[in-house]
Formats: sequence, C-alpha cells, structure tokens
Amino acid sequence: MLGVQHALAQQPPRLKLTPDEFQPIPIAIPNFVPGSPADGQVGADVTGVITNNLKRSGLFAPIDQAAFIEKITNIDVAPQFQNWKSINAQALATGRVTRQSDGRLKAEFRLWDVVSGQQLAGQQYVTAPEYWRRIAHIISDQIYSRLTGEKGYFDSRVVFVDESGAAERRVKKLAIMDQDGANVRYLTRGADLVLTPRFSPSSQEITYMEFGQGDPRVYLFNIETGQREIVGNFPGMSFSPRFSPDGQRIIMSLQQGGNSNLFVMDLRSKATTRLTDTPAIDTSPCYSPDGSQICFESDRGGKPQIYVMPAQGGNAQRISFAKDDVNASYSTPVWSPRGDYIAFTRQGGGQFSIGIIKPDGTGERLLTSGFHNEGPTFAPNGRVLMFFRDPGGSSGPSLYTIDITGRNELKQPTPGYASDPAWSPLLS
Amino acid sequence: MKVKVDKSLAASIVLHVLVLGWGLVSFSARSYEVQPDSLAVDIISTDQLAQMKQGLKNGEKDKPKPLVEKVADAKPVDEAIGKVTEKEITTSVAPKPVEKPVEKKPDPPKQAEDKPKDEPKQAEKKPDPAKVDPIAEALKTEEAKKPKPKPKPEQEAKAAPKTPPQPKQERVFDATKIAAALDKRDPTRQSITGSALNASASLGTHTGNADAIIATWKGAFVAAVRRCFNFPYNGMDADQFEADIDIYMRPDGTLASQPTIVAARGPSPSISHAMAESAARAVVQCQAYAFLPKQQYDTWKYIGMTFSLKDML
Repeated sequence: MLGVQHALAQQPPRLKLTPDEFQPIPIAIPNFVPGSPADGQVGADVTGVITNNLKRSGLFAPIDQAAFIEKITNIDVAPQFQNWKSINAQALATGRVTRQSDGRLKAEFRLWDVVSGQQLAGQQYVTAPEYWRRIAHIISDQIYSRLTGEKGYFDSRVVFVDESGAAERRVKKLAIMDQDGANVRYLTRGADLVLTPRFSPSSQEITYMEFGQGDPRVYLFNIETGQREIVGNFPGMSFSPRFSPDGQRIIMSLQQGGNSNLFVMDLRSKATTRLTDTPAIDTSPCYSPDGSQICFESDRGGKPQIYVMPAQGGNAQRISFAKDDVNASYSTPVWSPRGDYIAFTRQGGGQFSIGIIKPDGTGERLLTSGFHNEGPTFAPNGRVLMFFRDPGGSSGPSLYTIDITGRNELKQPTPGYASDPAWSPLLS
Repeated sequence: MKVKVDKSLAASIVLHVLVLGWGLVSFSARSYEVQPDSLAVDIISTDQLAQMKQGLKNGEKDKPKPLVEKVADAKPVDEAIGKVTEKEITTSVAPKPVEKPVEKKPDPPKQAEDKPKDEPKQAEKKPDPAKVDPIAEALKTEEAKKPKPKPKPEQEAKAAPKTPPQPKQERVFDATKIAAALDKRDPTRQSITGSALNASASLGTHTGNADAIIATWKGAFVAAVRRCFNFPYNGMDADQFEADIDIYMRPDGTLASQPTIVAARGPSPSISHAMAESAARAVVQCQAYAFLPKQQYDTWKYIGMTFSLKDML
C-alpha cells in the first residue's frame, strides 16, 4: 500500500495538450480496385462519392490522388505504410468493386491507420449495380464513424420544395434527393402549392402541407409506394405538421378564428388531442428525440419566441431571449436528433439568422446571418444543419449546409431553386 | 571534631549558587519563540507559469500603451562600468565624512578631468556628509587592518589627493572589493515574457509560450506533438473530452513502445475513444523527439500526457 502511494507520489504531473485550432484529418482514398477491367469506372465513381462526402463534412482533408506514391492493386495485402506516411496521410481507405456472376455488385473496403499500420475497419456489401451510390455513402459513414466516434449522416436523403419559373408564377414541387444532391426525384407535379415537408423518423413517409382548392391541408405521403392521404379533416386551416419520434403521431397547429393552437393526432386511431389553448398563435411544433417534450413557436409574449413544454401539454417555458437584440423574434424551431440543441430562425436587425440553443435556453449561438435564411433541419447525427437562403431580388432560394460550429458552410447542389429542406433519418 | 570553615569560601559558594539559581530561573523560563511571520505561497511548475502568462483566447485584447510625449531631454543612461570606477574613487577619496561640502568641491572637477563622461549630478551627491557609505567604511577598515607591503595607487591618492597620478584611475580587480563593485541600480531591462502574472487574462501573444519552450523540454515536446494532433470534433461540448496517454521513450527520442491509452473521458464513450486513438496516433507520427535533452533522460523516459479539446472551438 505504501509502495503504491510512493509510486503515485513519484509520478510526474501529466503534460497538457490542447489543439491550437481545428484541423481536418488527412486521409488518402485511392480508387477502388476493379474486380475486372469492366469495373474500373464504378470503382472510380464510388471513390469519388466517398471523397466528396468526407471533404464536404469539413472533418476530413482527402489527399489529391496525384500525390500518391503507391498504387493499390490488391486490397488483401497490407499497404506500404511508409509511402502513405510520407504524404502525411493519417488514414487510408482502400477498396475493391466486383460485378458478380449474378449481376450484383460487391464492394469491399478496408480502413487503415497509417501511423500504427493497423486495420481500423473492414466491410463488404452487395447490392444491385444501380445502387452503387448508396454503397459509397454507407462506406463514407463507416469511415466517418470509425475516425470521429460519431454516427455518420451520408446515407440519408433530403426532401425539399423545388422551385422553378418566374418569381410571380413560381411552380413549387415536392422533390427528394440524396444528401449530396444526387438522384433527384419529384414527388408532386407542381399543380398545387406545397410547403413544409417533414420526414417521418421511423419510415419512408413524409408529411407536408398543400394549398389545394380550399384551405391548406396536411398530407401523408409514402415515398416508396407513392400513396398519398389527407391527415384528418379539420375545420379551418392546418399548418406545420411534424411526426413524433415513433412515427405514430403527427403534431400540428390548427387555425381557429384569429388564433392558432397545437394539436396532436394519432395516425392509427385518428384521435386528436388539443395541447394548447391560448389567444395567441402557437405553431411550428416539434418533438424532442425521446418524445417527452415539445418545442414550438408562439407570440403569446408579444413577439414570436420559442417555448418548450411537456409532450402532453402543460406549462410552457420560454427559452429564447436575445440579449443583444430585444426586438428579435424566433421561429421554425427544430430539435436535434441528439437532443442537445434546438435550431431556429431568428429575425432581428434587418437580418435572418440560423442558430442553435440548448433546450434550457442557454448556449445560444448564431451560425449564419443574411438577408433571408430560414427553415433549418438537422442531419441524422445532429452535427450538420441544412437551411434555405433567399438572396432577394428576382432570383430564388437555394439550400445550404452548415455544421453546428458555424465553421463549414456549403451550398447544396440542387437542380434549380429550392427551399424548405427536411433531412431524413439514416436509411440503414 | 570541629571543622573549620573558611568564611570567604562559604560566602563565595553561596553567592555562586544564588547567581546560578537566579540565572536558571530567569533565562530558562523564557523559551525562544519564533514569530509566525509566514506568507501563503502557492508552488507552481514552469508549465503552469507559462500557462498563466499565456493568456486566454477569449481574453481582452492587450491595450497598446500610449506614446509618451517628450517633456524633456532624455537623462543620460549610466554606464555600469563607469559607475564601478566611480565607486572605487569614492572609497579612496572620502576619508573624512565630516568634511564640508565646500571643501569637497574641488573633487568633482578632478573626476571630470579623469573621466570625461562624469555627470555633475553625481558629483553633487558625493559630498553629502550625512551619507556615509557603509561599504566604503567596511573597505576602509579592511584596508587599515592589512599590512602595507607596498603602496597602492589608491593609497597614493590619499597621500596626495591634489595630484592623482594617472594609473590610479585604472580599474584593478580586487577580490576584497567585489561588494563595492556591484552595480546597485535597479535593473533597466525588462524580461521578455513579463515578470508579473496577469491579474486578468489577456489575449496573449504569439510569443507567450516563451517560458515553456525555453525553460523546459516539456513545452517543446507538447508543441511537437500538437503539430500532429488533429481530432476534428465539431460538437459544442468539445471542452468535456479528455484522453490520458502514457508515453515511454528511448534515450534517442524515439518511442520505446506504442503509446498507451490510460483513460478517455467525455459525454460520448465512442467519441472520447476515437479522440484517444487520434492522440496516440499523433504521438507516434511526430517522433522522433531528438531535441529532448539526453542528460535529463530520467525526467522524460516516461511522459504522461492529457489531451483535451478545450480550446478547439
């Protein structure tokens, strides 16, 4: 006992190291080796998608292939790590794609720690050849997860409102795409105005609001089957639908007279429950990831602000207090899938900002500001936000992504103008 | 049998006993007490000192000092060597501190003749009879005690102060006069990184690590590993993640074994583990640490390091 105490007393104090600044991980991703000469193109394509995903995340710095010293020809043999150390790579992802005799595509990959020479991950996937992009996204998630310790977000999709045509006769169609902007599909024809699409957290369904011939209605749309159904028949107008975390309920606001209150509807029984009853406008409700709480926007205090209350209704607590601008208003709250933050749109000082705040009202942080930024939606891992930005004038809105530190803002590729994005959960 | 007692002896014994008894009672009763005159002192390491001086990223910016308006000509700067020479002269030509200033006035011109760079201000101070240089007095006493085998230039100056010979002004090293030779002025040069700790942390400067880098190998080692440590966490709770890594070194500055992950702390086990792996990777990647002082190998053959993401955001 005394000896141990003596040894502890003898141990020198630990040196402390904190990084000076944020540095992405340098990673080398050589083209996936083709199983046959015919697979060369798909190998390069898979590599390109992985490289693009990791680069756009801002956490990785893929090394230019022109700098590679070694050419990977067989992924079953350990690479010459010295060749990759010399170009300052910390990680190396190698892979192989092979079209099998049954016509399906097999993709294998290995992730190497260049410094220690150890394999960090290794997987193989088989799919139909047309889904090669999904394989690339899944491998990207594997690399991201293994090196950062967090879940990835690449194997996911985004539903949004595609806008085309002149400003005064804008055609708005519901569309869906991969998170990197590929595989765009249109879900509606653009005859009616669509707004606020939202993904189900548990299935490939979306809700959205459509202005048809009469009042706006909330619809439920199955992406896989294309089936569409109206969610209840309510007197007045219904807005801002959003799924509960288990996908069994939809929370929304219904307008009655000059007021708007929150209601929740069970999708199976169609039973509707009122959650708020105030002479104010309560709207844009969203659930916490565990389903125990609701955040929403209300002007009960005079200006639109963000409130949090129990999922069954009850005492609502205001959490948004702009200390630097007493005239600021908050809207479009959305809870992070991780539960740690609520993203919002803040209007004040002639600008629209996208920001995050902790559910207890602390830690507010504005990530980006400008003429018009609105409608944030979280990536499945809660680390990236997508929103739309309208520069004003005759042009239209575009989609942007930004990480929750505000460090990495990127324009999201879309076919045309785009607004109202909603990020899906991970597909796998 | 009758014993004859010497009365004087008896009186002497009695008196001695009384004196000794009084002494025992009066001296032994009061023990020596040390006055509790202590100050609370925090012992900090060099790294901690460097850390305190380094400032904070979110601290206030250093306010530039306003330029001073010129109100008078600059005072000539004393030259240290000249001052020492002057001290020697002072000790040799001031035998009588009771001399009146008027009588001493001829002395400054002599010094001015001997040394063109002399300053009148100092010459005015010197005749002050009230100021007796204790060092000079001590040296004088020492001189008096010494035998005089051969006359020294200073002594010649004493004998004939009006015509001091030229060799007297030459500086002769005397080990017994080191105390007098010492420059008693306050230092005029400031330390590079500041001698006082910041009461309120400032933004710091890019040279703020000077203490750590210069004073210890630890600062250099941390800086070297930092170059390779890049864990790209983009969460807002980065300050809650830490990883302890144990490192064992060879005398040539290379790693004796793979760094050991001792502990990884943070809200997410998977993230903190990935961070610890990244930290270990950085230690391996940045070797060899050949700059580590070989004579101090015992102090760095084992290095415990804690990696943190605290300042990354």
